[in-house]
Amino acid sequence: MIGILGGCGDATSSSNEGNDEDKHLHFLYNFSTNSLDPHVDTSYVPLRAGITETLVRLDEENLAVEPWLAEDWEGEDGVNWIIHLREDVTFHNGTEMDAEAVKASLERAITENIAMDNALKIDHIEADGYTLEITTTEPFPEFISELVNPNVAIIDVTEDDILNHPIGTGPFVLETFVQGSRLDLRRYDDYWDGASNLDSVIFSFNEDANARSLALRSGRVDIVYRPEVESLDTLREIDGLQVESTATFRVHQMTMNMQRESLQDVNVRRAIDALIDREDIVDSILLGHGEVAVGPFLPSLPFAPTYEEQPTGSDAAVAYLEEAGYTLEDGTMQKDGEPLTLTLLTYPSRADLPLIAQVFQSDAKQIGIEVEIKQIDTPEEYMASNRDWDIATYSNLTAPRGDAGYYLNATYHPTGALNFSGAEEAELTALIDELNQTVDYDERAILAEEAAEYVYENVINSFVLHPSTIVAYNENKVDNWVTTRSEYYMITNQLDVK
Amino acid sequence: MLHIITRKFLEVFFFIVLITFASFVFVRLAPGDPVLTILNVDELSISQEQVEQLREDMGFNKPLLVQYGHWLINFVQLDFGASYVTGQPVMEMIMQGLPATLELTLGALIVMLVIAIPLGSLSALYRNSWIDQISRTLSIIGAAVPSFWLGLILIDLFSVRVNWLPSMGKGGLDTLILPAVTLGLAISSVYVRLLRSSLLESLNQEFIRAGRARGLSECRIFFTHAFRHSLPPVITVFGVSIGSLIGGVVVIEVLFAYPGIGKMVVDAIRQRDYPLIQGYILVMAIIVFIVNTCVDLSYRYLNPELKLKERETSR
Repeated sequence: MIGILGGCGDATSSSNEGNDEDKHLHFLYNFSTNSLDPHVDTSYVPLRAGITETLVRLDEENLAVEPWLAEDWEGEDGVNWIIHLREDVTFHNGTEMDAEAVKASLERAITENIAMDNALKIDHIEADGYTLEITTTEPFPEFISELVNPNVAIIDVTEDDILNHPIGTGPFVLETFVQGSRLDLRRYDDYWDGASNLDSVIFSFNEDANARSLALRSGRVDIVYRPEVESLDTLREIDGLQVESTATFRVHQMTMNMQRESLQDVNVRRAIDALIDREDIVDSILLGHGEVAVGPFLPSLPFAPTYEEQPTGSDAAVAYLEEAGYTLEDGTMQKDGEPLTLTLLTYPSRADLPLIAQVFQSDAKQIGIEVEIKQIDTPEEYMASNRDWDIATYSNLTAPRGDAGYYLNATYHPTGALNFSGAEEAELTALIDELNQTVDYDERAILAEEAAEYVYENVINSFVLHPSTIVAYNENKVDNWVTTRSEYYMITNQLDVK
Repeated sequence: MLHIITRKFLEVFFFIVLITFASFVFVRLAPGDPVLTILNVDELSISQEQVEQLREDMGFNKPLLVQYGHWLINFVQLDFGASYVTGQPVMEMIMQGLPATLELTLGALIVMLVIAIPLGSLSALYRNSWIDQISRTLSIIGAAVPSFWLGLILIDLFSVRVNWLPSMGKGGLDTLILPAVTLGLAISSVYVRLLRSSLLESLNQEFIRAGRARGLSECRIFFTHAFRHSLPPVITVFGVSIGSLIGGVVVIEVLFAYPGIGKMVVDAIRQRDYPLIQGYILVMAIIVFIVNTCVDLSYRYLNPELKLKERETSR
């Protein structure tokens, strides 16, 4: 067997590894895609691989929206938006990027993608030279931050094969695409923001974390997105391998079903919140690759409030339960002879969540609360149509485009599609409604803070942690790699080899 | 021969209608639908009203039979629809992924033959010897070891330690070696044992003894008589297991980032991408049918008794 394989030992690698003189990088990503249509595909590979760009982007320093293909914008009334484009941008086919081209690209995005049509609320677009005038169907203050979404990247829509070969404005041109496997990219010499020093980049996919770690160790790959957590210590020991971890906009939370009798008492919710041993969960389940969460928003976001610290631990939980009228009898927490039992939903597609559920179950048992864990398949579907549960582990992106509007509307507004708590709090709804009418950036931040405060005070949900993105790379070779919190920007014109 | 093929085609038509209907019903009875995926609720602010509206627009609220009727009408016109998630025509997607999956399956079968025929034959010829013991032990280990773990071991050996072979992706023949060997090793254990027991049975047949009495060489007896006689049961198992083999490719495809349809359909099931799931089941049903037809036809070649019986019945 070995002998048979041995015969193939000198097989030259078929991958285009570039010439020795070429400056070349191989980046390995954890999701695969069969489509590169920038307006439809939610793996966002064209933007991540540096082929396409959006009008505005998230600045990694302040986590605020900053100009990208757009130079500046106006829109005080929240309905009529004027966007001034950069005038020195060309597509990879040499065509100039003017307002007409951008208009066509935006129109294709909302035609091809019903979700983007819903999200952008565009009524009509006028194009004149390098100026776009966009009117939304209703006052929509987040409009500009919604343009951060990679699904509204700007491409030349006159090209034929957008699905396999999008023509964007980014620092890298797509040369070949093997569906579900890899992209070969070449530097775009006329890139408006300064051509990259790299000649070529391979952007490939592998969905198996072990295989990704091994690929890095084999030296065939230079940067690996999300290597296997258990192998990090091994990777760290290898000379020249750097492991970075950055907290993301995602939050793992415990959703409270406010329609359940026992949970209608805020003290019971506080007890549940106090029982969650966040430090222990981050250390034991995520092996330290996460940040303890107090509220929904990553603390570095401009609208994340500073919360007043609440007592935690089992003593605090017992105190809250006593306040709610529960007593410990025969080892179980009871009220009017009824033991407190909780049904906790969890689902396997995010591997951390069932483990968090188990930690919580054993901590609750210590103070006499029986927690029954129920595994479900599709949480959104189940929670929307069944109300026979008390708490649920869930995971959300809370400010994917640097604005709080999406999460607050979806999760706490009575009409939101992710409002699984069944929360209908007049004060909170009023805050969100006001946020939806407020254009001014600073005022929006204040309102978002107030809403987050309200959620925290009333424990409408509990927040466990912000998981980190882990990236491992060969530091003897890779220069200027940045692991962004938004997870949007990966292959940039700054990326280089030493 | 023609009569058999015609009858087969009638069979296959009803089989396809039956299997597509059954899969259609099962897939739609499973909780969830693609609406939340299409609206990308994980990242975009969507109201419950918009969710309901899209459900209505896409016809998910219509009775199941009506939905299936639509699919069947389109199917007869050879329109298999487009993926809800990527918007690509389903057949185009499947035809892009199918070659990789077939390559991998074929590669694995070649590896399996290279392992199973010598090991199975030697085990049968030298029954209860050390060779037999070793091959039986290897079969048991092979059956017990999960294929993804075997794959990781092979990657570690040939890609990390000696850096001979690429560990992922699809390019030239070198990218096929590791995944095909992994899968081939994983399936060969079954066939080694099967071939061994089948050969042992053949070697005890009367005609083998008659051959020996006529002074035929052992070599000739083994290869032209015993071996041929022992193949039908092995091929039967192969025919039955081809479906599960193509299904089992998924793990290997994910591990080696080999862009086949196995992984594609797993994603489709997760996202409830109905048209793609239906298209996949249809294509798989056709492939399994073709393989089984080939198996049936090969019996007639391998087993002369069948031809004799046919002649007798046609007289």
